[in-house]
Amino acid sequence: MSSNNPWHVRASRHFPALCAASLALLLPIRSVAAPAPAYWFAGTNLIFTKAQTHGGELAVALDDPSLARFLIKLNATVAYDPGSRLVIVTSGDRRVVTFTLGDTRFENGPLLERAPFAPYAVGATAYIPFVTLAKALYVVPVKDGATTVLQPQIGGLDVRTRDRVTTVTLSSAVPIRFKRTSPGGSERLTLVFSGVASTLETKRSIGGSAELRGVSIQSGGTARNPTTTMTFDATPQTMHVLANSDTPNVIAVAFAKSGVGLSGVPIPDAGDAASVIAAAPRPSSSAPSTESSAGPSDEYAPVGSEVPAEAAIPPPPLGSPVVVTSLDLLPADAALNVRVGVSGPVRYEWHRLTDNRWYVDLKNAMLGIPARDEQPPGSAATGLRVRQLAGDQNPTVRIAFTLVSPRQVNVVASDNGFTIAIGGLDDLEPQRVGTGRVAGGMLIASAPLANPGDLWSTPAAMLHPIVPTNPKLIVIDPGHGGSDAGAAHNGLTEKALNLDISKRLRAILVARGWQVEMTRYTDTDVFAANGSAHDELQARCDIANNAGARMFVSVHINSYTDAALNGTTTYFYKDSDRALADAVHRRLASVGTADKGVRKEEFYVIHHTTMPATLIETAFLSNASDASLLKLPAFLQRVAVAIADGLGDYASRNPVNATSTSDGS
Amino acid sequence: MKVLRAVVVLAVLVVAAYLAYRYLVQPPGRSADTITVYYCKTDGVTLVAWKVSRDPRMDPNKVAFYATAQALAGPPVSVEAIRFPAGTIVKHVDLSGSTATVDLGGTISRSAGGSFAESGEFRGLIWTLTALPGITAVQIKVDGAKVATLPGGHLELEQPLARSSF
Ligand SMILES: [Zn+2]
Repeated sequence: MSSNNPWHVRASRHFPALCAASLALLLPIRSVAAPAPAYWFAGTNLIFTKAQTHGGELAVALDDPSLARFLIKLNATVAYDPGSRLVIVTSGDRRVVTFTLGDTRFENGPLLERAPFAPYAVGATAYIPFVTLAKALYVVPVKDGATTVLQPQIGGLDVRTRDRVTTVTLSSAVPIRFKRTSPGGSERLTLVFSGVASTLETKRSIGGSAELRGVSIQSGGTARNPTTTMTFDATPQTMHVLANSDTPNVIAVAFAKSGVGLSGVPIPDAGDAASVIAAAPRPSSSAPSTESSAGPSDEYAPVGSEVPAEAAIPPPPLGSPVVVTSLDLLPADAALNVRVGVSGPVRYEWHRLTDNRWYVDLKNAMLGIPARDEQPPGSAATGLRVRQLAGDQNPTVRIAFTLVSPRQVNVVASDNGFTIAIGGLDDLEPQRVGTGRVAGGMLIASAPLANPGDLWSTPAAMLHPIVPTNPKLIVIDPGHGGSDAGAAHNGLTEKALNLDISKRLRAILVARGWQVEMTRYTDTDVFAANGSAHDELQARCDIANNAGARMFVSVHINSYTDAALNGTTTYFYKDSDRALADAVHRRLASVGTADKGVRKEEFYVIHHTTMPATLIETAFLSNASDASLLKLPAFLQRVAVAIADGLGDYASRNPVNATSTSDGS
Repeated sequence: MKVLRAVVVLAVLVVAAYLAYRYLVQPPGRSADTITVYYCKTDGVTLVAWKVSRDPRMDPNKVAFYATAQALAGPPVSVEAIRFPAGTIVKHVDLSGSTATVDLGGTISRSAGGSFAESGEFRGLIWTLTALPGITAVQIKVDGAKVATLPGGHLELEQPLARSSF
């Protein structure tokens, strides 16, 4: 049976053992609840507490803590769907082993194999044949005196020749650690792998490769501390490097004649696969960032809550703001009315968060009374906060409540302002967001939305009925910020670079006569620190949508685990926005990065903005040469100029008064 | 009589042996029982299909779960592909109408890898599932909940994705 997977050469199969195991099936299987035998693995005894002996093999529950520890050491994961009766294990070297409850056969990659007993379910968990699984994950039981040692193996060796490069890929049960014992620059490469033995054939000659004649493999050490020595016999004038792999259980060595381009890093004297994978680990986006300006307690961190330190060009003022003149609390049993007095017509937008916080933002408004932070009377709400958000362009007053439950909340016009009416009853299907406008004690327009889903299906005209389009306004969205650092590699952080380029872009656009608003001016979250992705990204779209911006441009830096990837990509989502992306990308072609083209992609911020929108992935900060460009202020300036030129090209080709709705060219 | 009994016993044994042989040795015609799994090459553009075998007796309702696990694991490691972060698992796949709802383990939320990786990963997964008969769209969930994007992410996941989304 030859593998129908053309890429993979496997360790020897054990057909006789399989037959014996299969015959054992014909015998009645007895399940014995006996103390499970201990295995020695990675320095400790693995004692299974949720295990049964079954037909001579150990059946271990998927939720046994020792099994979890075993799988973690191997970098393996298990997925069990009781509904579909499948137990799917993905090994550290990315092979899939699939068991089916009630079936002795299991899939080991492309091979159909047989276990000594069928996996079975007890309650909500499944029991699987442990030794069978271990072997499939390249771990074999080895006797060491009275103890059974679970010994990790290098179980896969794959050789591939393409474009005058021969690549040997080794797959191991555990993350790979090695020492190079051959001198650097020598044609013969010897690597000693610690902690692993090998079930591979001891000699492999390589046919069809001009670079590599063969590989010899020798296992040594002890049962508990094995080593495997591999010697690669390369042809004269052959160089070798460690090529990229994306799991620590796999190492790839590429061989080529000098003069042929090899992508990878020189093989160090000692190392591990993990350090080859990426120059830096992916950032943990859920961890609070030390650079965050808004602490987690500051849940209502507003848009542009800090005035930027270096606001070189002051934004143009809007019409004079209305003043909030009074705020009175009128409790009534379980209900609460809050009467707000304002000096003139005011536009508002309210939001209800999933944790029963509710707030309303009064746009272009100044707080004429002291800020408040208190527990309101009555039992409808436990908190009230009133404060001024010192926005960069739009002074906003926010009135926020922490409700005790999903209480009904209505905004109704009242004398000299409006009243926020918090009901005594819960709203079982509460709306999440709405906008409106009050003037002269009358509610002039409001657009409550049936549910959050309607936020994007509602036409822009309905959502923001009172906002005129501003043909001079461009909104720049510096991607990420605050608690979300974006990508981080090579000593660079995406959120900081995005902001740097965006500030440069703003200065250029303002000098060219545009009005510019940014979704953030500092290192901050736009919605709230550690808020949901929806709230954060929708807040960015709202800024542009509410302001009726002419264009929206989101600035990002790309990254990837493979450090070889580089270049600039410009994205659009709405088909009518292709012309904008094309115009910007054409100018970006001159900044000195590789061209990765214009792509359509359903990125949130270019989907939910109502004006022509584009998202730019400037370069890859995971790539050494792109990263060195990104460290140059001159490069960041070139990028900003190119984007500004592209926006200008688009605007002059698509004058806004030609048609008020269609922006496609 | 004794001879006849011996012949019958022998015949039964032969038939049993033949059936056991048929049962143990899978006929080679398993190639028809494959699913097509897609991955995105590291150029970020090209999708490549590869075949993965499946147990011919697998319940059709299980195939989507199995296909998802294969797409998450990606092609053999020696193949350069845009891959989901190591440790990404599928928890459930539910079929409802022509939409498959894929519930991914929360590990993926801790390792959003940039827009390039996101789009390559999900394009491969969506193409894999929509290659199965009857499935035209895929709703992604993370730990049982809908998400707008991954944390710090770019690609929108709140609504079902189809091949036309990319
Ligand atoms: Zn980004």
